[in-house]
Amino acid sequence: MEAFTILAQEADKAAAAASSAGFAYGLAAIGPGIGIGYLVGKSVEAMARQPEAAGMVRTTMFLGIAFTEALALIGFVVFILIGL
Amino acid sequence: MFALEFPPINEILRWSDLFPSFNKIAIITVAAALIGSLIFLLAGNADGSKAPKGVRNFAEAIVEFIEGQIIMPTMGRDGLGWTPFLLSIFSFIYLCNVPGIIPVLQMPATARMAIPLFLSLLVWVVFIGVGFKHQGLGYLKNSLFPPGVPGPLYILVTPIEFISTFLVRPFSLTVRLFANMLAGHILLVTFALLTKELVQGGNIALVPVGILPFFMLVFLTAFEVLVAFLQAYIFTILAAVYIGGAAHPEH
Amino acid sequence: MLTAVVTYGSNGPEVLLSASEGEEGHSSEYTYADCSIIPEGKEPSEKIESLEECDPGPSPIMPEAKELYWGASSFVLFALLMRFFLYPRLRRSMDARYDSIRGAHAEADQARSEAQAEVAAYEAALAEVKAEAAARIEEARATLEQERSTQLAEANARISSARDAAAAEAAAAHEAIRGDIGSAAASVASRTVELAIGRAPDAAAVSSAVEGSMTSGATR
Repeated sequence: MEAFTILAQEADKAAAAASSAGFAYGLAAIGPGIGIGYLVGKSVEAMARQPEAAGMVRTTMFLGIAFTEALALIGFVVFILIGL
Repeated sequence: MFALEFPPINEILRWSDLFPSFNKIAIITVAAALIGSLIFLLAGNADGSKAPKGVRNFAEAIVEFIEGQIIMPTMGRDGLGWTPFLLSIFSFIYLCNVPGIIPVLQMPATARMAIPLFLSLLVWVVFIGVGFKHQGLGYLKNSLFPPGVPGPLYILVTPIEFISTFLVRPFSLTVRLFANMLAGHILLVTFALLTKELVQGGNIALVPVGILPFFMLVFLTAFEVLVAFLQAYIFTILAAVYIGGAAHPEH
Repeated sequence: MLTAVVTYGSNGPEVLLSASEGEEGHSSEYTYADCSIIPEGKEPSEKIESLEECDPGPSPIMPEAKELYWGASSFVLFALLMRFFLYPRLRRSMDARYDSIRGAHAEADQARSEAQAEVAAYEAALAEVKAEAAARIEEARATLEQERSTQLAEANARISSARDAAAAEAAAAHEAIRGDIGSAAASVASRTVELAIGRAPDAAAVSSAVEGSMTSGATR
């Protein structure tokens, strides 16, 4: 009873585009995910070491998140463009 | 599987005209401008000589947030003249984002391309204008040929600098705001639809399961409150960074 | 729509193809009224199979001219209003308040320093008064001391003079008694000598002998 099923929908061009859009977004989310995690982790570390510099670190952290997140969001826009 | 039919993307984004060329997005933008003006008008009318309270306290908190958290860390004291511009960008974006979670409206105006595009083009024009005003033609030289790079590398550096400064900046500003709000809107629609299908789908066994996407919907609504603020903040702080960078070249 | 169900079992993958047409019945609940934009020349009450049949419109990435126009004009008006009217008014009263707060702080500082000066003056006066009081007390004590010592000296003098007088009286009485005893002893001795030798001794020799024996007796 080790059977498992994969539901693959292979129909017209639209469905293929939708699934490739999903892949595209999934791939685009990997890098920014790692990047934001690393960035925020390091920022928390810096804030814990020097609480008096927390304000500056937080501002810089948000800037870094904004730049990193842009990649994931471009992936999301590509998802919208080719998938919908 | 569930009979979940997600509507075409334009069905949750495009709105028919109430008056000719005046749709929900236009209502939200006009309301954002009106509410923003009203808040600052009432704040200006309130007695300013005593300790501020109510709407005045709110408006002064926004002004001090813009000055203390956005301008001072990025542009320094010289940038305080930009407060009204950044203040109006921040208030307008926030007031356009927030209808995404207000019942009945349920649509962030920034989830349409028009407003982010306009605002980032405005910021683009402003920071380039500030660059030329403060540095003259030296602005092009400083931004395209950054000092301290060995000669032959300029073949590589100059196109990259040109793309990143003059093309990617407005593009990423636009896409960041637009895509964040659109993604939030789609998430809310997805969980609302899932809840509706589970509860009203006719299968009585699935009704209790419908509570799960409903909780997710509530959680995401709370999350969207944060995102609405954060995106307005990030747009404004990036505008401040770009303008500040154009006014004072990095040596 | 064509659906392929691939099953990995113990005897390799099995593929099950199934075709489904949109005839489950739930799609007919839509009409054109459910669309956000009703396509040109369609009745809102007309039934449609799914929302896919609505006006698909442009890609969501494309900005729409009317939204751009409304958004841009309301933002520009808002920004201009903020720049030339709303913000300067708020800023002016904020600055006025900050200035008044700063002024009040300065005033409070001044009042504090004035109060401190007053306190210092008061303390100086207090110290002066205290010093004066201490001096007066000292003076009084000195006067008292002096008076006491003079009185003491007077008393001492009185006592000593009284004691001297008493001593002199006692010495006089002593002398008198001594004289009496001496003369008595001399008369006894001269009588005794007269009886022994039959003639009266020299009175001066007897009295000097008595005197000598009394003195030596007294000193012995």
